[in-house]
Amino acid sequence: MSDERRSGPGGGPKGRGGARGAAKGGPRRTMFRRRKVCKFCADKIDYIDYKDMKMLQPFIPERAKILPRRISGVCAMHQRKLQMAIKRARLLAMLPFVTD
Amino acid sequence: MSQKRLYELVYIVSPDATEQTITDLHTQVESIVTRLQGEMVRTENWGRRRLAYRIGKHREGTYVLEVFHGTGELTKELDRRLKVTDDVIRHLLIRVDEELKVAERSRAKRQAEAEKRIARGLPPLGQGRRRTSDDGGDDDRGDEPEVER
Repeated sequence: MSDERRSGPGGGPKGRGGARGAAKGGPRRTMFRRRKVCKFCADKIDYIDYKDMKMLQPFIPERAKILPRRISGVCAMHQRKLQMAIKRARLLAMLPFVTD
Repeated sequence: MSQKRLYELVYIVSPDATEQTITDLHTQVESIVTRLQGEMVRTENWGRRRLAYRIGKHREGTYVLEVFHGTGELTKELDRRLKVTDDVIRHLLIRVDEELKVAERSRAKRQAEAEKRIARGLPPLGQGRRRTSDDGGDDDRGDEPEVER
């Protein structure tokens, strides 16, 4: 009920859609919502190089899947670039496609 | 005339290949590039590395990186040659100029913004904005009772 009111006037025009959505879910569940910041935005990385294993390594957990954005907190733009880089690195056998 | 673009080529040479074949391959690539009006930028030999998975029967290979300017025809020819070369077990040829341009643009944009901030006499921090957006969420919670009062 309180949520509804807030999303009405405040949510739309102010923009910042992503942050809004998170804030909306936050107070209701009263959870320890940790603020996630895109690692690449924070470090001001514009080009994610497929040759740079050190950069890609934290985004490939043990099953060698690409870490989802909702967990890593990477922004959409950087996730796209990251995905491209990981796929290129896989093709060059620098990263595995699967591990079991 | 087709345009010159920047390309990156990485190929993995079979571990059975000798030093000689690796240098031969490099000169071959270089000659193709120069023959088709390309221009070498740089070469790197990453040496022998373990592969993340088996390619054919191989578990390791020698990585070589070549960066060059060239045309589409040149990449076609290179791709074809690398495919038929038995010593090359895997190769990746990609165009990078566009991506680097995008990266350069966003870097320039950020720099311009930082300069603007300094010109306005604000502290040169990008993180301040992020924190306020989070505080905004908290503020909302504080605001609510005020409205009802």
